[in-house]
Amino acid sequence: MTAMAQPGSTTRRSLARIDFWSIVMAVSIAVIGLLLVWPIVQVLVLGFLNPDTQTFTLANYLKVLTHRYYLGALGNTLAVGIGGMIGACLLGIPLAYCTARYVVKGRSLIATLAVMALVSPPFIGAYSWVVVLGNNGWLTQHMKTLGLAIPTIYGVHGIILVFSLKFFPFVYLMTESALRNINRSYEEAAENLGCNRLQRLFKVTLPLVFPAISSGAILCFVLSIADFGTPSIIGRDFRTLSTIAYNQYTSEMGGPPTMAVSISMLMIVMSMLAVLLQRHLMGKRRYAGSLTNLTVPKPCHGFLGVAVHALCYAVVALATLPIAIVVYTSFLQTNGPVFTGGFGLNSYSRVIQEVPDAIANTFRFSLIATVLITLAGGLISYIIVRRETRLSGLLDTVLMVPYVVPGVVMAIGFLLTFNQGVLDLVGTGSIVVLILFIRRLPYGVRATSSVLRQIKPSIEEAAVSLGASPAKAFLKVTVPLMMPGVIAGAMMSFITAINELSSTLLLYTARTATMPVRIYSAVLDGEFGIAAALSTILLVSSGLCVFVVLRFSRSREGAFV
Amino acid sequence: MAQVQLKNIRKTYGNHVALKDISLDIESGAFFTLLGPSGCGKTTLLRAIAGFHQHDAGDILVDQQSIGHLGANKRNVGMVFQDYAVFPHLSVFENVAFGLVQQKVSAEDVRNRVQAILDTVQLGQLAQRMPHQLSGGQQQRVGLARALVIRPKVLLMDEPLSNLDAKLRVDLRRDIRLLQQELGITTVYVTHDQEEALSISDQVCVMYDGVVQQVGSPWAIYNRPANRFVASFVGANNFIALNQDAGREASMLGQRVDVPESVRGQIQCVASIRPEKVFVNEALTGAGWKFDGVLRQASFTGRELQLAVDVPGHGLMEALTAPAESMVALKPGETVRLGFLAADTLFFADGELGKLLL
Repeated sequence: MTAMAQPGSTTRRSLARIDFWSIVMAVSIAVIGLLLVWPIVQVLVLGFLNPDTQTFTLANYLKVLTHRYYLGALGNTLAVGIGGMIGACLLGIPLAYCTARYVVKGRSLIATLAVMALVSPPFIGAYSWVVVLGNNGWLTQHMKTLGLAIPTIYGVHGIILVFSLKFFPFVYLMTESALRNINRSYEEAAENLGCNRLQRLFKVTLPLVFPAISSGAILCFVLSIADFGTPSIIGRDFRTLSTIAYNQYTSEMGGPPTMAVSISMLMIVMSMLAVLLQRHLMGKRRYAGSLTNLTVPKPCHGFLGVAVHALCYAVVALATLPIAIVVYTSFLQTNGPVFTGGFGLNSYSRVIQEVPDAIANTFRFSLIATVLITLAGGLISYIIVRRETRLSGLLDTVLMVPYVVPGVVMAIGFLLTFNQGVLDLVGTGSIVVLILFIRRLPYGVRATSSVLRQIKPSIEEAAVSLGASPAKAFLKVTVPLMMPGVIAGAMMSFITAINELSSTLLLYTARTATMPVRIYSAVLDGEFGIAAALSTILLVSSGLCVFVVLRFSRSREGAFV
Repeated sequence: MAQVQLKNIRKTYGNHVALKDISLDIESGAFFTLLGPSGCGKTTLLRAIAGFHQHDAGDILVDQQSIGHLGANKRNVGMVFQDYAVFPHLSVFENVAFGLVQQKVSAEDVRNRVQAILDTVQLGQLAQRMPHQLSGGQQQRVGLARALVIRPKVLLMDEPLSNLDAKLRVDLRRDIRLLQQELGITTVYVTHDQEEALSISDQVCVMYDGVVQQVGSPWAIYNRPANRFVASFVGANNFIALNQDAGREASMLGQRVDVPESVRGQIQCVASIRPEKVFVNEALTGAGWKFDGVLRQASFTGRELQLAVDVPGHGLMEALTAPAESMVALKPGETVRLGFLAADTLFFADGELGKLLL
């Protein structure tokens, strides 16, 4: 009886296994293989080839690791990476401590401003600081009339300043939510055992939130070393790996971009080492938040109150200063590239006359990419969370890759992959959409999978046991519950897509240029009016998306990290 | 009303055999409880009946018809979950109506049936509330109503009370049992709480390590445990080593004892005595044994007095007595006289699963 039943049930199960989700799995693997793994393998392999003979060689990597030009860029990259990370921590951690532990007036305003700083295009910071502290910046000019020479924004300190102010919200938002989730008893126990406030902070509180701080810090490091726009606008002679990879690529046109890919691999390795280091440091330090007996923020008065509020508002004011400058500049009256004094809408009318396609392209590409990310992200996260197999585990791991691959590198991989036969996409809008899609897919997957993990599987089982088919249970119960997370994730994808520069800069043509690309070239050409007007359009669009996220996301600001 | 039969159900996860050829007959209308420690396979078995995972071999029959190959949505079994699984985006009414809407019941019938079952579980006033406005106990009542309203052939409950606080657990337990008897619905209930299992069930099935250890009435499970595991898992028990020379006399705690015929010749075996059957400083009313011991701890719980007594050559022995004032006055370190009747003593072959020797 049993022996008879077994083969029958085996066939039944293997037939049943070729279901909808298996097809999703197969398609996901194919798409990720083609759009993510293959381009990176191309980059990796090309770095090992002699550009003239096409034979295996280690010479390219040796050159990158021994030549002074490259080693200098490597050192510079490390300097801005570590500098940006430390700066972000110095701003983010105290801010987080203040807002988590004290009753700060306008806490949600502070959080919203931090989020706005986070979602503004990265190079806006660089370019706004040029307006303030550049050679002709107003602060520089004012100081000059007073006979004072102050350092300009150009160079390593400027880059670190911009990165610190741009990326600190990651540290701030992650640390703040961790601080809020600490069980009050830990700190009370520390005090009871004889710690004063400072000892308690350094011996108990900070170690408990170390996992959150280090996650935020590593994110700042990885983003700082990958950033292209900032060092290329205010770096001058200070070159980082991403700027020289871009320069090498554009100057190697015609021949194989061997040196550019060798530099790219170095960047990937650096990011990966950083992530591995953080994992190593974290080790088994996982402290589950109890969500009960939480610390209550204390009211602060007198000197302490003034100090706390001053610190909080100074940090976010400084971080959102670039946004204010951009918006202000966009309404200045111009004649050509020259500001003529007074206010006017000239910059906007020039944008509409000269680069209308850039606006249309940005929204078209980003919208398509966002729809694709949302659909694929929803399906893939379902596979990863609910169908735990070796393949879905692999998928989850491979999806980590875009986090550590700088946009410039991904773009080079795409140009190496999609340049012939049916896959010849160079110069098309599709290649831009695809790179936006693959670069942001992991964020979409993470947004939906974190929501999905909070939905207990028993909810879906309950629907099935009440007679709904598995597909119907997914649609009627799981999808509605996932919706807020999916919408928040889609908005985040859209924000990052419209602001993308480092990968599109290598892929665009006159027909497919986007707003960030136009802003970048406008800044280089000294067309600050156009740059400001385009940036303001991007900022308003991002701001609207932030509003939607805040409406739909339960964890509020937490949705942005 | 439906009879449930499980035939040689087998389930493996990699190398681990979670269910080892389980066969059970559950009578129509019975309240049948699967009891065991965590990891014993009880929840796996319940979820196999629900159809949430496919068993590797064997079959499940309801009223002689196989449901083992049907999808979980086609089995017509109601399920109540440990974590309630009340849909957080639907109101109480919509939650309970969910299964009826799946069955395409007319709107009017849905309204009537949902209201009726909500009244039955005492939630009639809360139909329009959202789940987050309900307490844990109320959420579990919604879960129960939702499972019952579709008139399933079998009701499955997976530790439905374990997330509730003690007082509520007892109240809801009584309500569940009353409702089950009123509706006469065949119920399979999973718990690790032996008191809950004994108090609520018609039949209890004790599981351990993927194997059914014993099926019987609560009385039989408690008073005639089939093996040493059941004797130790259900209720408290004192196990005392029995020394026997092959074919000769047996001794326990250094005293000669008379043992039943079946025990004689079993070299390795243990005697068991329930704490409440241990007499303390009291004369025995029949054939039995007496020992002296030193009182280590006495705890008075109101209803009874728990004593831990150090018996030389054995270790701590537990006794449970009615709390007479003279007993409560006992101090640790005092010598007490323990005794128990041969009639209250059971003998088991040695080993974790040693069989009851009759």
